[in-house]
Amino acid sequence: MNIFDKLRAGITTASADASQAIAAEFAAALPETCTLALHGDLGVGKTTFVQGLARGFGITENVTSPTFNIYTVHRGPARTLVHLDAYRLETAAQIESLLLEDFLNPPWCLAVEWPEKIAAWIPASTLHLDLGITADEHHTIRLR
Amino acid sequence: MILALESSCDESAVALFDPSRGLVGEWVHSQIALHQPHGGVVPDMATREHLRQFAPLIALAQAKPEFAAVSQIAVTHGPGLAACLAIGGAAAKALALALRVPVVGVNHLRAHAWSPFISVHAEAPGDFAERMKAYLPHLGLIVSGGNTLLFTIDEARQFTVLASTRDDAAGEALDKGAKLLGLGYPGGPLVEKIGAGGRADAFDFPRGNGPRSELDFSFSGLKTSLRYRLEKMSEEEVATRLPDLCASYQQAVMDALVRKTRVALERRGWRSLGLSGGVANNAVLRTALAAEARRAKVDFFAAQPKHTGDNAGMIAFAAWADSTGVRRAEGLDLGVEPNAPLA
Repeated sequence: MNIFDKLRAGITTASADASQAIAAEFAAALPETCTLALHGDLGVGKTTFVQGLARGFGITENVTSPTFNIYTVHRGPARTLVHLDAYRLETAAQIESLLLEDFLNPPWCLAVEWPEKIAAWIPASTLHLDLGITADEHHTIRLR
Repeated sequence: MILALESSCDESAVALFDPSRGLVGEWVHSQIALHQPHGGVVPDMATREHLRQFAPLIALAQAKPEFAAVSQIAVTHGPGLAACLAIGGAAAKALALALRVPVVGVNHLRAHAWSPFISVHAEAPGDFAERMKAYLPHLGLIVSGGNTLLFTIDEARQFTVLASTRDDAAGEALDKGAKLLGLGYPGGPLVEKIGAGGRADAFDFPRGNGPRSELDFSFSGLKTSLRYRLEKMSEEEVATRLPDLCASYQQAVMDALVRKTRVALERRGWRSLGLSGGVANNAVLRTALAAEARRAKVDFFAAQPKHTGDNAGMIAFAAWADSTGVRRAEGLDLGVEPNAPLA
């Protein structure tokens, strides 16, 4: 089963490392340019997942939370990873004032946390992932 | 005379600094009230507010007799919100053209790094260079909503980053913890206030320390552990134990900061320890770091409260003191660097 099929079925992991390994495998299988919508509440492992994506793209610098500056840009050998936290955006129109497109040079991957805040802006081709935690402290990842 | 402008996030600020006297005026317009209902800074609202606030702030500086002596404009060019930085940058360039003086770009993080020394300079401006020799090499900790950094300034005023966060900044960990606890924004001061009435050892949250050899910070596991803890508690229980939760959660953040700083202090013979950034106002942190400095027998300098948040006083001071990091753009070529690193 390839990583897309595995993720569609839903994957449960027991550690941050395991979640990152899944994300790294997923990163290697992604198209040249793509937007990922990461759905899930505070503390369920969204940034942890993006750190795994970065690892998959060969990015070695620290991938820190983008919350303060809204988005961060990581340039790797295989891909530019743009990590956006839409939590404080109120409308899709506010995306226009972020100068985001200046940093989306192919090949790129845009990972969006809190995508529901800018639902009208999210491209139709976006891959949507649901992240969650279980009562026994495991993380779940599922591709819609 | 240096005229400084700061607009990296949600504070519009202007300051006048005379190297031979110190800060002669500081003006700040805070947007906290504007962003409070939204649970954090909303970028395009912040940008428009900067546009409204800069002219009246600059007018206040212009009313000072010292304004006539302005010989340089300094402006934050990063890191920060791109569109917010652009407003300050445009205002600075317009002033530079009007006053026929040069404009320099100052790194906001370098300004935080220098901010504990503003009061050292103010005590005896003429002796600053000589006195600094006694405080270098310096170990500094910047703790804010966007950054958690341990860094050094060596005898030649060169900067080196010793450690940074792998995920969330310390201030962000407090803000997001506050959000999980159902408190308002900004969360850090609320967690401190409510936690003052609670027991710091009531709940055991992970410190995310890792091996002693690794100085990097990590706070995302702490956030997740609070989430797990809250899911096991009833709403009523969370409400009655809120002070204990706040005190214990805050303690976990502060412990990580203090322990890493202690390891860094032991690594070599620093001659001073500095603390700056928004979270530097936290009394638990100030007290603990002062004790670490005493133990290591080094001088401890914490930024004054008015220089912990975003302010232009530190931008003006760094434009003068930070001989190795100021961006001297040709003409009006100064751009913005939203992701500018400390070093």
